[in-house]
Amino acid sequence: MMKYAMVFNSQKCIGCQSCSIACRSENKVPEGLYRLQVKIQGPKGVFPNLAFDYERFSCQMCENTPCVSVCPTHASFMDENGIVDIDANKCVGCLYCISACPYHARFLNPQTKVPDKCNFCKDTHLKLHGEPACVSVCPTDALVFGDLDNMNDPIYEILSKKNFTRKKEHLGTKPKLFTIPNKKGEIKL
Amino acid sequence: MGIHRRDFLKGVGLSSAVLSMPGMLGAFEGKLKGSQKFVKSICEMCSTRCPIEARVDENNRVFIQGNIYSKATEGGICARGGSGVSQLVDPKRLVKPLMRVGQRGEGKFKEVSWDEAYEYISVKLKEIKEKHGAKSVAFASKTGPDQTFMNQFAYGFGTPNIFDHGNTCPSGYATALTSVYGSGSLSRDFADCKFMLNFGHNVYEGMVISYARGVTKALEKGCRLISLDPRFSVLSSKADEWIPIRPGSDAAFMMAFIHTLIFEELYDKKFVQKYTVGFEKLKESIKDYTPERMAKECDVSAEKIISLTRECASYAPHCMIDFGHRATFTPEEIEFRRAIAIANALLGNIETKGGLYFPKGAALYNKIAGQKVAPIIKGSILPKVPEPNEPRIDGVDIKGGEFSKIPKTRGIYSKVYETILNEKPYAIHGLWITRSNPVMTVSNSDEVVKALKKLDLFVCVDVYMSDSAQYADIILPESTYLERDEHFLSDDGKNPGYQVRQKVVEPIGDTRASWRIYKELAQKMGFGDLFPYKDIEDFRMQQAYEYPEEIYELKSKGLTSYGIPLLARDKESIAKFVEKYPNSKQFLDEDGEFSEILKCKTKSGKIELFDEVLEQACGRGALKYNDPKLKGDSQFYFIQGKVAVHTNGHTANVPWLNDLMDNNAVWINQNVANKLGLKKGDSIKIKSEVGEQIAQVLPTVGIREDTLFAYFGFGHTSKWQEISYGKGMNASHLLKNIISPVSGNNVHTIGVDIEKI
Ligand code: SF4
Ligand code: SF4
Ligand code: SF4
Repeated sequence: MMKYAMVFNSQKCIGCQSCSIACRSENKVPEGLYRLQVKIQGPKGVFPNLAFDYERFSCQMCENTPCVSVCPTHASFMDENGIVDIDANKCVGCLYCISACPYHARFLNPQTKVPDKCNFCKDTHLKLHGEPACVSVCPTDALVFGDLDNMNDPIYEILSKKNFTRKKEHLGTKPKLFTIPNKKGEIKL
Repeated sequence: MGIHRRDFLKGVGLSSAVLSMPGMLGAFEGKLKGSQKFVKSICEMCSTRCPIEARVDENNRVFIQGNIYSKATEGGICARGGSGVSQLVDPKRLVKPLMRVGQRGEGKFKEVSWDEAYEYISVKLKEIKEKHGAKSVAFASKTGPDQTFMNQFAYGFGTPNIFDHGNTCPSGYATALTSVYGSGSLSRDFADCKFMLNFGHNVYEGMVISYARGVTKALEKGCRLISLDPRFSVLSSKADEWIPIRPGSDAAFMMAFIHTLIFEELYDKKFVQKYTVGFEKLKESIKDYTPERMAKECDVSAEKIISLTRECASYAPHCMIDFGHRATFTPEEIEFRRAIAIANALLGNIETKGGLYFPKGAALYNKIAGQKVAPIIKGSILPKVPEPNEPRIDGVDIKGGEFSKIPKTRGIYSKVYETILNEKPYAIHGLWITRSNPVMTVSNSDEVVKALKKLDLFVCVDVYMSDSAQYADIILPESTYLERDEHFLSDDGKNPGYQVRQKVVEPIGDTRASWRIYKELAQKMGFGDLFPYKDIEDFRMQQAYEYPEEIYELKSKGLTSYGIPLLARDKESIAKFVEKYPNSKQFLDEDGEFSEILKCKTKSGKIELFDEVLEQACGRGALKYNDPKLKGDSQFYFIQGKVAVHTNGHTANVPWLNDLMDNNAVWINQNVANKLGLKKGDSIKIKSEVGEQIAQVLPTVGIREDTLFAYFGFGHTSKWQEISYGKGMNASHLLKNIISPVSGNNVHTIGVDIEKI
């Protein structure tokens, strides 16, 4: 029993898309669709003091999961390790989960006709090689994957030392995808 | 979500077969044969050669990641590397030899057997040799292991005219380093650097995984990074400071930097005295380049130049001025890159943590260690063919000449196209290119096309019907890197090592590897004895038969590394080295340094701050600032750069990468766009002295007002690559084919006018 989580360090991310390609490759994501995208936004600021924002778009692995709660057949579920996943056999194709996800993390896979999204490579790279594909290829180690319930896990140390944010926190979804904000891109209030 | 383009194509029943031509793979339905365990190999989606590992599973999926044994990449890979399978099974990939049947460039080809292709080529080559001499055939390749075989073939055939892509990319810095250090391949210890000046070497977009990791590690440890770049790059966004320097004037900054180092006496006197020659001459040549004077040239204030110089020197020797990669900004590259090379020497950062160092091959390392630490695996087993006794077209073979710092395996590539057209110093009738797409990458593309059309024989080895291949007489489909084994390569860093490319899947279709193509063609032409190996395994055995265990390790890990890292002037590193290899003590000098390692292959044997050879050859022994005048007053500078998801002219048609980016909008300063009434996506005509291109604009605050920027690798003209055809613009149509002094590089900056359309 684990509580899998991921840290996306936008200070280190360079928007290179290696993660996105590795995800496509490992999880047979159909062309033109994405379980994961990283976007470079900007630049913003006053010339020449500018910054880009590097943002990861993928399933946030919510602890309070709107996608699971709307699913009438329990096809969408959270497994014992905290991974939000989809059981294709139970899915009736109502697509409620796609509209319920506030992070637009889900899409309909045209090949399987079942909603698809990041599942931390549960059946693929994680199963075979112990970590998600995107994490294993990131050239700058901007991604860290680990178990929140294990105090010896490096992810624990990172989250206790660094400031982090979670997307749309006001919705109470409690994402397990944490972002370390870009120092330069940080909006100071 | 929308309907994706390809789904749409499928929907209307346009299978790729319909749009296809002979020789292309088409929709791949077959089964990939390969190992389900990770095979260690080397990437070739660009020319960096990052270590990778890849596996094939029962569902035909190929997954590629970085080789976990590599200390430099630790499993990292870029998007291009991860997309290898998308190229492997790309419907537009060539899998059969093709022979032209229509007019040149018309795009009519027929499939032929390898033997027919060889027969045609060998008859033609012999004919040209008889009529015009072997020297009238030129051979060119992108840098890589296949060059070993191509160059052997070329010399065996009898031409001295062999080239790599250097002059359209790294020759500027390589020549400069050769001038100063006697070697074009110094390494940079990015990870331990404490202060870094970077002139548009965008390691976060022109991806080399080890560089990207190194810089990231340095930044994490608090390294100060200053990015001098006319546009706001990804690297600039991670830097402490972005200085939008005037395009092409970086040399001016460097002259003032050196001026400050010398006249404020901030340089490392001991190092200069011990390891360099020519300091007084350097001082003399630099004396008028005051920060005040140079500030006007480069648009960075004198105060800024001075403060950065002082700051940089305060971190010496753990600081670095990065000598860059694609050194093609100005015709004055030699002065700019040499100024960088010299400034590093003045900072005394050679063979220190966070500075520059010489890669240490097995022979040198073993010698210093005083024992056999690393096996000495031969680089090549091919018999040495004497250089054909004919002058080259580019003059790099003239001893002590202006271009003599350029290696003969490199040459001045863009000169080939000029020579085909003007027939000076003599005519070129035949051209063989492999992994090269000059229509995209050589300046003045229109002239390149004209040149290709004029040839008597044009052979192209490629995996695609590229912009250049479409003009070929014969196209030989090479196996992709995932389908071929190669010989052992040395991979030296602070300590010696080797690496090897190994096939992950059996070749698809009827493709062949270089080691086979050149051997077979040479056999056909009667000089097969120059390729004395049965297959690549035999080649490898001959390289390393003395070291069976090492061969085994190399194959199972994909790379090996011997001994411990050595920096010849770093106390800590030296102490560890001496402890491990006590015999090495004999090589320590009075300062406790391994000065043996700093012996340069220059004329004086030392680091040369003034180059006597160049002084003799062309009066360029001293550093000199020449304003390159790259544009007229009312014009914009047009500059270009690399993007992380594509490799130059190579990958626009790789489906996954095309999906990430298939166009290159031109960056223009927001204020200028406002004045001109240009909004995002508006089309403009960009005109230079030699050509014009239509492009969409991207107004942004991230660029100087006098500059336009585009990523390169777009604007393809081969309609056989329909997902990239005609998308975006290619600056090579705007650039003049300039051959710069000494380094012979093509220049990728030009003045342009724009017009809204
Ligand atoms: S691989 Fe890493 S650096 Fe590249 S885009 Fe993904 S998270 Fe960012
Ligand atoms: S991000 Fe969306 S799909 Fe992922 S767990 Fe949250 S609600 Fe569900
Ligand atoms: S964890 Fe796996 S499925 Fe999720 S984004 Fe990364 S690679 Fe894709």
